[in-house]
Amino acid sequence: MTRIRILVLALAVAVFSPAVALSHHSNVAYEVTKVITITGVVKGFDWVNPHTWLHVVVDDGKGGKVEWACEGRAPGVLLRAGWSRTVLKPGETVTVDMSPAKDGSKTSIIARVTKADGTILSNQPVFDDRGN
Amino acid sequence: MRTLIASRCAAGACLLIAAASIDSAAAQSAASASPPDFSGVYYPYTPGRGGGGGRQATAPAAAQRGAAPAGAQRGGAPPPRPTQSAPLSDGSQGRSPEAPKLTPEYLAKWEVMRKSRIAGSYEYDNNARCLPPGMPAMMGMAYGMEIMQAKDRITFFSELNDALRRVYLDGRKPTAKQLDDPTYAGYSTGHWEGDTLVVETVALHPDSFIEGFTPHSDAMTVSERIRFTAPGILEDRITVRDPKALTEPWQTVRTYRKALPPNDELREFACAEGLSRELVSGKH
Repeated sequence: MTRIRILVLALAVAVFSPAVALSHHSNVAYEVTKVITITGVVKGFDWVNPHTWLHVVVDDGKGGKVEWACEGRAPGVLLRAGWSRTVLKPGETVTVDMSPAKDGSKTSIIARVTKADGTILSNQPVFDDRGN
Repeated sequence: MRTLIASRCAAGACLLIAAASIDSAAAQSAASASPPDFSGVYYPYTPGRGGGGGRQATAPAAAQRGAAPAGAQRGGAPPPRPTQSAPLSDGSQGRSPEAPKLTPEYLAKWEVMRKSRIAGSYEYDNNARCLPPGMPAMMGMAYGMEIMQAKDRITFFSELNDALRRVYLDGRKPTAKQLDDPTYAGYSTGHWEGDTLVVETVALHPDSFIEGFTPHSDAMTVSERIRFTAPGILEDRITVRDPKALTEPWQTVRTYRKALPPNDELREFACAEGLSRELVSGKH
């Protein structure tokens, strides 16, 4: 019984812990004027402050997989840019335009995300000429 | 009395008396007029440009209001691929000509911070460390602000880092105890001059920034004149004085536009949400 409890606890920790360390949460950690593009499968989308995190698994072209942790803007900003907590679902294919981390790790900051149907999720809030 | 005046004056003279009474009433009304009501949610606005956050709108306005994914762009000619993901804010471009003019001592401090930021560190990045943006930087209000106005105080709330500042309008002045207890928002008192709110802020935390990552001393004070320049357009003219850190006072103007539904609600920021996950995972 104790073993089962430990197993359940271990599973819970594994499921609820971030898949990749959230190493950065600042523009200064990234080469913001350099934009690279990846296409891969969503592993998870963390709708958290101060910044959201999109985890994407990409084929490395050699039979292996590479996981990117892509930092997005805050939920409040993204809501106004048309995103939502559930706009990106595990298993869907996305293309991410992003700037890589200065330290060379597989982390990046998102410029925009394009869904398989062509929908573009911008990182800029959209307002009309009345501010709404 | 009225009858007496009416009976004694000719028609033309009575008209003059009536006109004088109206002028007097108008002057009295202006003197006791209520101050404008600033209450509401605002986003930064660059006059002559379309969007919030001082940035150009990049998609049709209607897209913002529709069902999810509202604001997402779909169909039509694809927009150009972005060439930048975020503002370059690590100081690698040097100081802007519009930036506050620092004394040699504080310019040296800025250079240390610049090197740190270019290296990718957030040692001097208060925003990344979930610290309040502080005055006067917080009045940039990049993620929107909510103003709550009462007769005796006006409160400014910033969605970025859920930061708050109160401006007391009841004539109180900071005590020696308050002056000895600097905070990120500082201690603000204000009064109305006609339709303009005039604010003085003191007791500011020396670890906050004037703008960007421009440092200041414990002697910094901030003066503001806030008014509507057009319906729904609010302007804050800011003057920063700091005899230790600045070679001359620094002035800037922030402009905001009042939001209408459905964009008149700010979201909770809860910056510690992400930091606490890192504490639990043991990784930074």
